[in-house]
Amino acid sequence: MPSSTAVGHLDADCFYVSAERVRDHFLHGKAVGVLGNQGACVIAKSYEMKHAGVKTGMPIWDALRLCPQGVYVKRDFRWYEVLSRRMLDVVRAFSPRVEYYSIDEFFFEVSAGINLREMAERMRDAMLREVGVPVTVGIARTKTLAKLVSDTAKPFGALALLDRAAEVALLERLEVTEVSGIASRRAARLEPHGIRSCLDLARADRLLVRRLLTITGEALWYELNGEAVLPFYTERPPHKMLSRGGSLGGTVGQPERLYAWLARNVERLVEELEFHMVRTGALSVYIQHKDGSDGFARRMLPAHTDRFDLLMEAARSALARAWSAERPAIRMHVAASQLRRSGFVQLGLFDAPPERVEAVAKLKREVNAEIGRFALRSGATLPLADVYRDEAQSYDICDVRGKICF
Amino acid sequence: MLAGMALALSELPVELMVQHGLERRVCDRGGEREVQFLFADADRLLPVWRNGRLQILRWGNRRGESAHLPCTAWTQLDTVQNGGWSDRAIESVVVPATMGLDKGVWYRIRQGIRGLVALDERDRPRVYVICEPSSHYYQVMTRGGSWMPVLIDERI
Repeated sequence: MPSSTAVGHLDADCFYVSAERVRDHFLHGKAVGVLGNQGACVIAKSYEMKHAGVKTGMPIWDALRLCPQGVYVKRDFRWYEVLSRRMLDVVRAFSPRVEYYSIDEFFFEVSAGINLREMAERMRDAMLREVGVPVTVGIARTKTLAKLVSDTAKPFGALALLDRAAEVALLERLEVTEVSGIASRRAARLEPHGIRSCLDLARADRLLVRRLLTITGEALWYELNGEAVLPFYTERPPHKMLSRGGSLGGTVGQPERLYAWLARNVERLVEELEFHMVRTGALSVYIQHKDGSDGFARRMLPAHTDRFDLLMEAARSALARAWSAERPAIRMHVAASQLRRSGFVQLGLFDAPPERVEAVAKLKREVNAEIGRFALRSGATLPLADVYRDEAQSYDICDVRGKICF
Repeated sequence: MLAGMALALSELPVELMVQHGLERRVCDRGGEREVQFLFADADRLLPVWRNGRLQILRWGNRRGESAHLPCTAWTQLDTVQNGGWSDRAIESVVVPATMGLDKGVWYRIRQGIRGLVALDERDRPRVYVICEPSSHYYQVMTRGGSWMPVLIDERI
């Protein structure tokens, strides 16, 4: 990036709650929790609920104890995506180069030299006026610094911070875990070397940081020192891996119900493979049990494929290995790796003629495009009739395409 | 099972507030205030759209009140559809609601709840909330609540 540019980070303030408030004035001023995981957990909370001690990811029953007067709303990712794309349009009106980082976060390039603080304020105000969502905008020399600036300025802040003295003052008062990419495990590696604040990290020996945190940490070191090294994506680069899954909405002990979840996740994965026009060479199943233990198994496929029947066979075998049958499961993820573009795939020697299954897959795609997602689906999903009846379950955060991050 | 509901204060005309002494039911949890109608209230009431007017009616029937009507505050959708109320003159009504309460969870309701009104032996109207088996989400949210109110144009 040329040195004459700066990076902005625009982040919605409690986005899911703000999105609900856009269409529902009654929720303004109240402690609001948006529920995910099929009603089990608070996935977003208003500042009022945060002040009561509720944390993101907290089970609703713990949240109720802390905030009995909270109002709980079911998540609606279709609506959040509508607003997210409107937000993207607003950001693009201010900058020609925008990274759609996540559903509620955007990086953008700006030319240095203009009044950046004023620009941040104008963006923030335009977003509230045109989309109705309160946001915070931070502008700095690098992506990492811009994110720290916007995090510090929340809520509804607008701040540009480009001179080194101001950066140092900011970094000095922030713990190193405030840096995106440094969580508790990495912080524990830094701690014995006296690296506790962001400034400690910025002033640490670069090679030591590289040794402790690999090149990922070294990149953060450069960024904290004002040198932009992280890539700026104006388009989503091709996926190296695709996965589908999540909470099972409670504990699942019956094999037929767990198998139904497996079929559901494989069908969703096939949709993604088809959308991105790739086939997978390996399929993994991850299971988390209620007692906290987990299981993982990977199956190599004889040839790269996006066929439901072949993937289901591999998934079934992986599930048998990953799941401890005597332990109820609470989460499942199915992941496809070793992806290849569909046009460059070698067929297996013993592949059955694909015409019939391809005809079925085509029919499935067409019916679902016409009638609605999952209208035609595997019979193995029948034990999940309750889940399929719920329209909101048919669209998840991972179905919002084009963003860089989950 | 629905244990109560709340209606935004702005939805209730002042004359109804005064007529039924609803001021003591007004609650403030920030933002617009609400009027709460709880199953546990000594004076069990619900707002109802009936004959084009918003009315405040008695919610269900308690033991010792009416011998003519079932002693409950809810009725199942299946019961209504299978003629369980056919021996009585009933009216289908809308219970306007901004929030519902079940197992301590206040959840948002966009429009309202389906109900039915039946007359007791003294021709006093009583409203029953119509329920159906809970959705998966509702069951998880209320930790096993097996019945949920039938919501208007909404499925949670």
